[in-house]
Amino acid sequence: MGAQFDITYVFEYFIKLLPFIKISLLIVAGSILLGLGFGFLAALPRLYKIPVLKQLSQIYASFFRGTPILIQLFLLYYGLPEILKLVSIDISKLPVLLFVIIAYGLHSGAYVSEGIRAAVSAVDRGQVEAAYAIGMTGFQAFSRIVFPQALAISIPILANLVIATLKDTSLAFTLGVMELTGKSQTLPTMSRHFIETYIALAAVYFMISFILEKLFHLAELRLLRHETGVVKASRISLVRKWLNRELPAEIALNKGGSGI
Amino acid sequence: MIKLRQISKSFGRNEVLKGIDLTVEKGEVVAILGPSGSGKTTLLRCINYLEKPNDGEISIDDFTVHCRKPVKKDIHILRQKTAMVFQQYNLFRHKTALENVMEGLVIVKKLPKDEARKKSIELLEKVGLGNKLDSYPSQLSGGQQQRVGIARALALNPEVILFDEPTSALDPELVGEVLAVIRKIAKEGITMIIVTHEMSFAQDVANHVVFMDEGVIVEEGNPREIFQSPKEERTRQFLARITPESTYVI
Repeated sequence: MGAQFDITYVFEYFIKLLPFIKISLLIVAGSILLGLGFGFLAALPRLYKIPVLKQLSQIYASFFRGTPILIQLFLLYYGLPEILKLVSIDISKLPVLLFVIIAYGLHSGAYVSEGIRAAVSAVDRGQVEAAYAIGMTGFQAFSRIVFPQALAISIPILANLVIATLKDTSLAFTLGVMELTGKSQTLPTMSRHFIETYIALAAVYFMISFILEKLFHLAELRLLRHETGVVKASRISLVRKWLNRELPAEIALNKGGSGI
Repeated sequence: MIKLRQISKSFGRNEVLKGIDLTVEKGEVVAILGPSGSGKTTLLRCINYLEKPNDGEISIDDFTVHCRKPVKKDIHILRQKTAMVFQQYNLFRHKTALENVMEGLVIVKKLPKDEARKKSIELLEKVGLGNKLDSYPSQLSGGQQQRVGIARALALNPEVILFDEPTSALDPELVGEVLAVIRKIAKEGITMIIVTHEMSFAQDVANHVVFMDEGVIVEEGNPREIFQSPKEERTRQFLARITPESTYVI
């Protein structure tokens, strides 16, 4: 059993955990960047209704939203090298961190693809028609009119995703990565002050989440400055519908993608 | 001069336009009337290819698009020769009134920014919004948004401006200001095709009235002919239904 509760350990461990924030943030940043790439690639076939690719992207999103991240980590870290061994490719020497970032990248990409779809669909079709009517090309209409608005609308989705990913990175300790949670496992081995570590750990995660939340809120205010209060609220709530992380449900907003 | 030849359009099995022929002279103001579902909005949207006609030809002066096999580049040119004012305004919500008008000039016409800005300010002043340059659409009333929409359409110096029920989404007290602007630019000799339910406005501003029903042009002519002595029974019935007795003379 653990030693008797001693609050000084909370402060001590809190300070000791701080340097490991950067590993956790590295995983978050790397996987979100990868996730934006994967998500964008996966969203395009569904927005443009490209056969075959569209189905593949649906399977991708369903799989990564429908299976636990822990299992995905194991599959990628233990499973993939075994499979590649069959074709004589050895990736078992690659750093663990790389596997972790790719696993989280694929995972968040699934959510990003749904978010992009929802956000693009939330920009009304009439504006695209107006863009065409003044002689813009499809690409100009997307990049000048749809994308900036979709980006603003998707900020809450992105914020949610970043914070969720931050919390999910705690599972990387199962592969032996020395991020926040991994480090916290090693701290009380001598002192036996387990509870204090977890309190310190929770405080660190909460602190980072809190700062991120505030930053995203500022970004949202800035990007949605063209909307008055009421419209802003209704547009954001439209997007909040897609934030449910549990259901890999099919999205059917009006007629689905706006088919630009 | 704009010439439509045998324009037809179906949505699935529903034949909305059944071979429309229409000639619009330069400087003419054409009002298209008709009951809802008669295909008038679809016809208007076909003229700048927001709706893809199944067959027919669209000519503006000596430039022609063959709708059976349209070339992508031709559609692009057609859209630059036409401009549209929408029922729901369709302003770019993340851009100010000034930026909305400038957008086409800078991005499509590739005008230098300061020149585009100058021209846009002039146009917004013309529609009476010189004091709203930096307002976003969400800060403007419906009537003001629609006037920005008209300035945006004017900016591109189109051969024709297409108005799709420009006042239908407006509160009654805001209709007047928009109609006044349309009336003002009609006097400048810009070719316009207007789909509208404002009968007295059509009678007043248009010099060519087209009555459509069930995907065909039933009757066309000058407003006097159509409003005061319509030849076709269907036109007469339609006008009797929607024109108040006091202004309706047979």
